[in-house]
Amino acid sequence: METVWLILLVLMIATYIVLDGFDLGVGVLHLLIARDRSEQKQIMQSIAPVWDGNEVWLIAAGGTMMMAFPGFLSSMFSGFYLPLTMVVWLLIFRAISIELPHYLSDSLWIHFWNMMLFVASGLLIIILGAAMANIYRGVPLDAKGSFFEPLWTNFRIGQQTGILDWYTILSGVTSATFLLHHGALWLVAKTDGRVQQHARQAAAWLWFGTIGLTVIILIASWFVQPLARTSFSETPWKIILPLAAVLSLLVSGYLRWKNKNMPAFLCSGLFIYFVIFTGAAAIYPNILPGLNPEYHLTIYNTSPGPEKLTTTLYWWIPGILLVGVYFTILFRSLPAVISASSEEDH
Amino acid sequence: MIDSLLLHRVQFGFTASFHYLFPQLTMGLALLIFILKCIGLKGNLWADVAARFWLKIFGLTFLMGVVTGIPLEFQFGTNWAQLVKSTGSILGQTLAMEGIFAFFLESTFLYLLIFGEKKLGKRMHCLVSCLLFLGTWLSGYFIICTNAFLQHPVGYQIGEDGVYHLTSIWALLSNPWAIKQYLHTMTGSVITGSFTMASIAAFHLLKQQHQEVSRRYLTIAVLVGFPASIIAAMPTGDWEAKQVQQHQPVKFAAMEGHFHTEDGAGLIILGQPNLQEMKIDNPIIIPKALSFLTHDSWNARVKGLTEYDRDLWPDNIELLYFSYHIMAGLGTLFIALMGVSLLLVLKEKLHTSRLVLWLLMLSLPFPFIANTAGWFTAEIGRQPWLIYNLMKTADGASNNISQGNVMFTLLGFMGLYLLLSVLYFFLVTRIISRGPELLNQPESETEGAA
Ligand code: HDD
Ligand code: HEM
Ligand code: HEM
Repeated sequence: METVWLILLVLMIATYIVLDGFDLGVGVLHLLIARDRSEQKQIMQSIAPVWDGNEVWLIAAGGTMMMAFPGFLSSMFSGFYLPLTMVVWLLIFRAISIELPHYLSDSLWIHFWNMMLFVASGLLIIILGAAMANIYRGVPLDAKGSFFEPLWTNFRIGQQTGILDWYTILSGVTSATFLLHHGALWLVAKTDGRVQQHARQAAAWLWFGTIGLTVIILIASWFVQPLARTSFSETPWKIILPLAAVLSLLVSGYLRWKNKNMPAFLCSGLFIYFVIFTGAAAIYPNILPGLNPEYHLTIYNTSPGPEKLTTTLYWWIPGILLVGVYFTILFRSLPAVISASSEEDH
Repeated sequence: MIDSLLLHRVQFGFTASFHYLFPQLTMGLALLIFILKCIGLKGNLWADVAARFWLKIFGLTFLMGVVTGIPLEFQFGTNWAQLVKSTGSILGQTLAMEGIFAFFLESTFLYLLIFGEKKLGKRMHCLVSCLLFLGTWLSGYFIICTNAFLQHPVGYQIGEDGVYHLTSIWALLSNPWAIKQYLHTMTGSVITGSFTMASIAAFHLLKQQHQEVSRRYLTIAVLVGFPASIIAAMPTGDWEAKQVQQHQPVKFAAMEGHFHTEDGAGLIILGQPNLQEMKIDNPIIIPKALSFLTHDSWNARVKGLTEYDRDLWPDNIELLYFSYHIMAGLGTLFIALMGVSLLLVLKEKLHTSRLVLWLLMLSLPFPFIANTAGWFTAEIGRQPWLIYNLMKTADGASNNISQGNVMFTLLGFMGLYLLLSVLYFFLVTRIISRGPELLNQPESETEGAA
């Protein structure tokens, strides 16, 4: 039962990253691609209706994590106190800088919020990667299952870890590249004209970057976390996950080249799912490894017990199906392609 | 010397109070907008115009609710790790339900409501406003259930390792405490919604702008606001007081400022609690009323604070006492003001009664103050317990975070929320000064979104 919930939880987190990932990616790209106000609006119209719904996945995943693995959530959130609080601040800035520009047609006002959006989205996608890497690399857990990490120590992955070391920074850069690529593909699929052209070029470059960094991060991860080596040698079939990731990335590039824009975007989403599942599978059944192997947090010692979790599925599954319905309604209500001149539709 | 527990509490209390300023308005407005849309269905153009105007304010307020709600959700994990560790599998149920059943609903239909008026047609648009109303009220229920578990825990079992297990999700969701608390809180937010509407309408009427529309929706606001003001006191406020008296007698004695056990106890209307001498300074008291209100008998015995162990007293009795009295005092004023307005509406004179319009306009801040004071009563009165009678607040906070770090984030939140307030006031004032009728014209560059 714990394993089922782990899979569901990882699915939710990955869904959050895939969905909010593209609007965060667009949040960075808009400043680089848009040339004038109408292109800027064109780009923002492609994410304005959906970012809030996408972000709700984070909240829903948080609630689910609290319910299924309270020991994990409490240890992780209090241990990463500072970076998580800063994530919250960045999420606030991100949200208001998407929405507030509409309220005043003053060029300084709009420009200011666009810059804010760029900075907040950029930092968020880097931090997302660094956070994942911290969980994967392991943290200095004590016997009571808690820890506290400063932002940085000496940037090495010894016993005195900080949130930022070379591995987590590498992972931050990697995730930024992944999500920019993902965001660019969204723009390719949803816009036309000059914006689409430039997004296509950006996606092409970012695709090479993504491939390169995928290889590097896979190799680095192999060495950073000893659990991964045991895990993959004991259950070799898990190797399917990273392979599937690489495959979806290649297919995504191919589809983009063939002008199959929406499928290319979806494949990039698939790629992100597989990457995250690879990481989770590599440390399974641990959920937050300790630097001291005796203190690993596992899905068993952080959850309230299997029989308690079964009944929860009775409301959880219909709930998620309902969410599927909402998202279908929402995404289908978006125009298929957003053009630069298209009027806002009130 | 400030200890980190106090900082955790101040940070949570500050961010929660700030958050609640926005949802109380959106939940109230969601109902009123739905009513306006229904009236609009009957072909009343003014109602559609008013709904469009209020949707803009709704959109901005909703955004503030979203951005200040997320920090709260995070703080359970970051600042109250011990609480989550032992009760996460219970509190997480309602929090996850809130996300899955309510927030997804809201975020989907808000977009359709704001952008879809032309595309959807009148009926569908009205339906969407109904769904959004349900979504906001549903999220209110789930969060109240979460809070009610802390006030009056039900449906749990404590394992030998001290971890709480859920025994019945149904018990958690039908917690009798939650139901009463929900009815009272929602009434409070309808009050906020209708006073806000009435106040802006009064402002436009006094300035002699947008008179047609303002006059009409002012009537709606009064027709909704009057019953809500009554219901806040009777029966829901009375229920809340009775259930506190029954299950949390120490909180009750402290918030009433009732120090000594008495037969036929009086109800304190005004006065300052004096903890040194255990009495109320400058009291104005209605004799025997407290006994009557709590036990339906003029001579019943009401236990005073001194009956209880000092360790079980809330640590800020003065603030608790004033919060409670401010809420109840304002509640009485609301009934009076809405009552007069209703009489004038029935005589079709409200839009020309300048004095009452002035009063309505100036009353804007008071429902927000009453709601905040209500939460202060509930939350400060719960001290020293985090989960009533089960877990002390001191045992629920994260214990691995230094004071410096909490101070840092507290100051950060204060600065950030100051910025948010300034932005909100600036933009809302612009929307209000443009008024409803302008929005009738073809949309311009500055059309707001949410
Ligand atoms: C406009 C808002 C408003 C108004 C006019 C009132 N209240 Fe209230 N009250 C609230 C808004 C509110 C609230 C914000 O909704 C609270 C906070 C927590 C809760 O359950 O509801 C609350 C809490 C609250 C509590 C504490 C519950 C607890 O400790 O858990 C009591 C005893 C009352 N109320 C009683 C009253 C009475 C007797 C009123 C008589 C006039 C009254 N309220 C008016
Ligand atoms: C409904 C969900 C809510 C939950 C689950 C909740 C929970 C908590 C928790 C865990 C604390 C810290 C422990 C403590 O000091 O008691 C707290 C404190 C506090 N909360 Fe809430 N709260 C909720 C709603 C609110 C709202 C809406 C407000 C304000 C408008 C509020 C105001 C406060 C205040 C002022 C404190 C500080 C109490 C003190 O310092 O003594 N709470 N609450
Ligand atoms: C401490 C407790 C609370 C937490 C953790 C919390 C959490 C949140 C979060 C995360 C959001 C953003 C949702 C989104 O992204 O769409 C939100 C918005 C909202 N919250 Fe809270 N909240 C708390 C207290 C309350 C209370 C007491 C109420 C009402 C009784 C309430 C009612 C709402 C509503 C209606 C919204 C929708 C946005 C809006 O209308 O402004 N919240 N809350």
